[in-house]
Amino acid sequence: MDRMACVDLAALPLQVLLRAQPEWRSYPVVVVDRDKPSGVIQWVNERARSQRILPGMRYAAGLALSRELRGGVVSRAMVDDVTAELLQRLWRFSPRVEPSSSDAGVFWLDASGLGRLYPSLELWAEGIREDLREAGFASSTAVGFTRFGVYATAKAGNGSVTFQNPAQERSYVRRVSIDRLRIDPELRDTLLRLGVRTLGAFLDLPAEGIRKRFGAAAYELHQLARGEGWTRLCAREIVEPTERTVYLDDPEIDSDRLMAWIEPLLAELIAETTARREVVAAVTLELKLDNRSACCERVAPAAPTDDAAQLLGLVRLRLEAMQLPSGVVDLTIRTEGAGRSARQLDLLQEAPHRDLDAADRAFARIRAELGDGAVSRARLSEGHLPGAGYDWEPMSRMTSPKPRETGVRPLVRRVYAPPIALAARGRHEPDGWLVAGVAEGPVEEVVGPHIVSGGWWAREVSRAYYYVRTRSGRWLWIYHDQKRRRWFLQGEVE
Amino acid sequence: MDSPLIPAERYAPLWCKSCYSFLEGASHPEELVEEAYRLGLPSIALTDRDGVYGMVRAHKKAVELGVHLIVGAEMTLFDGSALVLLAADRGGYANLCRLISRGRLRSPKGESRVSWEEAAEHAEGLIALWGGERSLIAGETTPDRAADCLREAFGDRLYGLLTRHRQAGDALRERRVRDRAARYGLATVAGAETLYHTPARRDLQDVLTCIRHGVTLATAGRLTQPNAEHMLRAPYDFARLYADDPGAVRRTEEVAQRCRFSLAELRYRYPSERLPDGTTSSAWLHELTFRGARKRFPKGVPADVRRQLERELALIHELEYDGYFLTMYEIVQFCQSSDILCQGRGSAANSAVCYCLGITAVDPVRMGLLFERFISRERAEPPDIDLDIEHNRREEVIQHVYEKYGRSHAAMVANFIRYRARSAVRDVGKALGFPETGLERLARLLSHYDAPDWGAVRDGDFDATNPMHRDLARLTGEIQDFPRHLSIHPGGFLLGHEPVSDLVPIENATMIDRTVIQWDKEDLEDLGLFKVDLLGLGALNVVHRAFDLVSRHYGKRCTMAGIPADDEPTFEMIRRADTVGTFQIESRAQMAMLPRLQPRMYYDLVIEISIVRPGPITGGMVHPYLRRRNGEEPVTYPHAILEPILKKTLGIPLFQEQVMQLAVAAADYTPGEADQLRRDMAAWRQAGRIERHRERLISRMMEKGIAAEFAERVFEQIRGFGEYGFPESHAASFAIIAYVTAWLKCHYPAAYLCAMLNAQPMGFYSPATLVEDGKRHGVEIRAVDVRYSMWDCALEPSRRTPGAFAVRMGLRYVKGMRKEVVARLTESRRDAPFRSLDDLAQRCGLDQGTLARLADSGALEGFDPERRDALWGALGTACDEQPRLALDIPEPDADFDALNALETISWDYEFTGHSPRGHPLGPLREELTRMRLPDAAAVRSYPDGRRVRYAGLVICRQRPGTARGAVFMTLEDESGFVNVVVWDRVFRKHEALLKTASLLGVTGRLQAQGGVAHVVADELWTPQLGRRPHPTRSRDFH
Repeated sequence: MDRMACVDLAALPLQVLLRAQPEWRSYPVVVVDRDKPSGVIQWVNERARSQRILPGMRYAAGLALSRELRGGVVSRAMVDDVTAELLQRLWRFSPRVEPSSSDAGVFWLDASGLGRLYPSLELWAEGIREDLREAGFASSTAVGFTRFGVYATAKAGNGSVTFQNPAQERSYVRRVSIDRLRIDPELRDTLLRLGVRTLGAFLDLPAEGIRKRFGAAAYELHQLARGEGWTRLCAREIVEPTERTVYLDDPEIDSDRLMAWIEPLLAELIAETTARREVVAAVTLELKLDNRSACCERVAPAAPTDDAAQLLGLVRLRLEAMQLPSGVVDLTIRTEGAGRSARQLDLLQEAPHRDLDAADRAFARIRAELGDGAVSRARLSEGHLPGAGYDWEPMSRMTSPKPRETGVRPLVRRVYAPPIALAARGRHEPDGWLVAGVAEGPVEEVVGPHIVSGGWWAREVSRAYYYVRTRSGRWLWIYHDQKRRRWFLQGEVE
Repeated sequence: MDSPLIPAERYAPLWCKSCYSFLEGASHPEELVEEAYRLGLPSIALTDRDGVYGMVRAHKKAVELGVHLIVGAEMTLFDGSALVLLAADRGGYANLCRLISRGRLRSPKGESRVSWEEAAEHAEGLIALWGGERSLIAGETTPDRAADCLREAFGDRLYGLLTRHRQAGDALRERRVRDRAARYGLATVAGAETLYHTPARRDLQDVLTCIRHGVTLATAGRLTQPNAEHMLRAPYDFARLYADDPGAVRRTEEVAQRCRFSLAELRYRYPSERLPDGTTSSAWLHELTFRGARKRFPKGVPADVRRQLERELALIHELEYDGYFLTMYEIVQFCQSSDILCQGRGSAANSAVCYCLGITAVDPVRMGLLFERFISRERAEPPDIDLDIEHNRREEVIQHVYEKYGRSHAAMVANFIRYRARSAVRDVGKALGFPETGLERLARLLSHYDAPDWGAVRDGDFDATNPMHRDLARLTGEIQDFPRHLSIHPGGFLLGHEPVSDLVPIENATMIDRTVIQWDKEDLEDLGLFKVDLLGLGALNVVHRAFDLVSRHYGKRCTMAGIPADDEPTFEMIRRADTVGTFQIESRAQMAMLPRLQPRMYYDLVIEISIVRPGPITGGMVHPYLRRRNGEEPVTYPHAILEPILKKTLGIPLFQEQVMQLAVAAADYTPGEADQLRRDMAAWRQAGRIERHRERLISRMMEKGIAAEFAERVFEQIRGFGEYGFPESHAASFAIIAYVTAWLKCHYPAAYLCAMLNAQPMGFYSPATLVEDGKRHGVEIRAVDVRYSMWDCALEPSRRTPGAFAVRMGLRYVKGMRKEVVARLTESRRDAPFRSLDDLAQRCGLDQGTLARLADSGALEGFDPERRDALWGALGTACDEQPRLALDIPEPDADFDALNALETISWDYEFTGHSPRGHPLGPLREELTRMRLPDAAAVRSYPDGRRVRYAGLVICRQRPGTARGAVFMTLEDESGFVNVVVWDRVFRKHEALLKTASLLGVTGRLQAQGGVAHVVADELWTPQLGRRPHPTRSRDFH
């Protein structure tokens, strides 16, 4: 007979928060839906509950009950990340695991046949709990015969329960409290008002009466509790990485010979990726060297592709740019897949005047040869200091320029980042202020100052900026740092 | 105030924004004026964004220091650009106010937009300064259309405004302004946008900017200013800034010279009433007063009253206040004709004219109240009449005032919501980038109202060595008292003979159909403008409802004036502190005082209402008064001159009026100083205003030979009054309502309870407590029932006592029930009674939710006595849109447990907030008795000093600021109340339990003295009962 198990990590968002803030464990702690005093409390720990802080309250109301209350937001993404991590762990115990899509922290595991691998299913289940405990999570497990049965039993939160036969499971489930299940709160409250406190009492209600009064969802729950209508386990597949490893008998340092090893492996991986209806978005090389060190390099094409020549070209550029201190003994090559974009499928599109794809491919080659940070562009940002007026951001794709029309020819200001420290001004300057050295001559015209000060909340700056013209005609952009009492060359005007 | 510098150079700052440019300017208007004085600037302009909110404060300070204040505003145009306007004369000021009003009234709250054409239409008497970063003249495109518009309207009163803040963009902007000014033929004037009086406020200005834009300092980018160059500059600094253009600096003075308008020029005329032909306001007021007097005194107006009336009328006429009295009379007449109960209070109760006009109900001559407290020639300030109106009908009166005087001549007074410790921590902390949940925790450690006291904060989350925390502490201190946004005064109106918008701009309030002026109550007082206060009072609504019920069911017409003034059963009930539900004397503290004070007449109630206030309590006046009243201590006076003032309160000052009279008689305060004292007491939240009287009062009293201890006590009481004290005139008016409600409760308990229940929410106690109190007084309470209940509670003939009435609870008490559904239900029921649940659902079109609510509340018990069965039935019986088929197969029965007595009462509480069937502790009494826990009646019978263990439902918690952390609780069971005092030490130990438990056990010692019993708690605990009642909600007060 098939065996089924369920693992429940009760109040998973709270467990995630406490894992991120372990110093809060001695305080009352709550998870709120947003970082606001009006944020609604969603989960509470025991200490908070003992202070009568309950889910549904506003955070401000909770604070009125305990001034020590700590609260934080746990985003959906954080829960998803932890779910993915838990999935990896649970795969170690069963190849077929299904995370609940509606109840975070609930996982079903296929336990069929595992009795032969483990001394008993009880020990298997206990092992799961122990493993999760080591990872910082509290859980309860149930091993039984039906999905609903193990779900309801795990939700009852009595540690680890293993049923020996279906009748035992059915009997146990009838005693499970309605309010332990994650069901619509309105339905739960109405059932409790009717005196229906256990799944058994719920099952005793007429099915059609349930449908008529509480709708399809309640009817479905009733059906599930009766053991009808449950879908099969939809286990999340274990995704095997697309990678190949080759162990070299003799350490190899020559890039051409390394490429000869890589070429057939990469062709296999591209074929494998294509079989998954994907194209290659990046290639990673992991090299173990003869001197026992290792290095890892990743190259990405301008756009995901199945063009082996393009990918090999990028790998070759990177290999040639690497200064390997020792010969390679193990070589692992891995590809990352991505969906085929509509653009890649569009074969009839008229070619633009400027071939932006060619530019992207060229940038990809520059990145492959010089590193990922080699191609970046400036983006204007809202800062008062010249250095804070723009950011450098990596450029992944080339876009057509859209210059703003202006009647005035813009002046070009070159910004030195970081600014260049200037020599301190002497007390006596018989030849004038030689800000850029004797060759440029003394300063003949000064415009300014323009004061920029601020950042008092973090690192205070106070600078007096000037434009100065030297006798040679250069316009320099300098400033006096009033905190450091020094002059700096910020840039130049052309 | 430092003495001014004597500058060699002179200029006038013409573009200054204070904190009344909400969340932009970082200095109070007074600080700007003080700094201008210190720097030796003869003039300063205040030009807040689209408003003159801070102008009165600046004006007051300018008058005090002899600085010339230029009145202006920075106007926002439709295109988002700005234009600074300054008032040259009174006409210009009126135009400015009208223009702001126009912009504000068409815009959402907090915004204003005007067009260039409108600015031009209002140009007369105004000077325009065109410049600055937000101006079109400094923008990229040439503003020819706007320039033509302005030039034509303003002529030589339009200037190009140069602005230098040592920023990179200054030069480009200035070149544009200069080029265009030359092209349009405008003179240029030097300036800078002043946002704070000193560069030290730059940080605060950054924070305010962040708050305004909802960003943090780290993400604000260029929303904040790039440097700290927006301060008020010293003349030499300003001259140096514009060293290349001294002419532009000189022209600032020229502009200042042209602006001769001062707020002191505002002349205010109260609206005249429409009078019968040929009659003057004065004669008409005289006529109405004596007509009223003849009604008040049907046996003939007593000579002393007549004398008083003539004296008052002469002064009213001399001060030209006739119109004001006629307005109040008209409003009272409107209320009477609309069957709205109203009553004047406040200092108006000191006026015999108000009494005779029907505005107030207190005869000041008989009460010996001082007319001078109301109007005084020396004080030269307008009278203040507060009119209490039934709270549910106040809006009708407000709209009547708008209708009668027009939106242009009537607007409500503003109220500025200002930063206090907690709001400051929340907003400043957010701008600094603190997580909001952490900030909230920090905010809770600070006082509600006082400035933040960081020294008192002992929490791991505040670290005084952390620079970010230090910034938080510094900036929350600086932002105190800054206005955050504009709100509306509870009921204050400004009425004017001329349009109000000629006097002060009007804008929209958040509440629909309300317009509000840009000044608050204090501004109006400073300028001597009249305010009419129309305040809502729930008790009047109760009285009105009770009168109607008595009239309908008992056939007796009652009026406030017609109730016998000395009804002994009523006073006997009051002396027993049996006053749940009465006005003012129902609170726990008032009930504790009643048996000690033993009121026997109306004036005793005036004292009762005044004495249980923080003023007398913190001033230590209560016990001496009680001892003297009980003859346990002789009545003495600290000085012979105080005897006339303190005689009626046995030598102890209890009223605000007495404090002022004391200041005049014992500390030689002038009437003006005494009035300032009164206003400083009223403005208790503004730190330090009362403190400045301390030295003056005490030293002057001691000079007159008054004991230092008494002088100190008087001052303490003044400070207490500042927190919350009652003037005698207020108490006198409230005592009338208190007495009337007590009389109704005493003689018509069912009608009064019914009225109270229909007037909820209001008062000190929850409906459940009122119902329990009614039951203890023999009132029969009938549960909500769809077969009989209306929306409101109603009286039904009693089956127990002929001629008596029971209270049928209304469907309004079924939680979640909507009035229109009940209207449908009662309408259908009028045709024929409901035969069944199905019949009810079909005829009224009730949905599943409504039927379930009715079943939960027990309102369907007429169809199915078992509530769970009724609920199951209701859930399956919604109104069908399609006719049912006869083929429907009956569904199998479901079996539910019947509710027991405790569950029934718990369901009542959960779904209707009360239970007519019993008290939640009734079914638990046996179990409580087994646990050796007595009921409230038994506790009250115990002797003083006995150790007590008691458990009851918490119905009220109170933690007054004056009680040094003590909490006062009222616990209730089926036999009555037990008052519990929890001292701070015990409170700290059981804080969470005390704040949340609805059923609470207390162990302590009984204090029973003078008919008042309290349990002083040592321990609080949760009674370990097998079953628990449904948690009830207590009423909690600070």
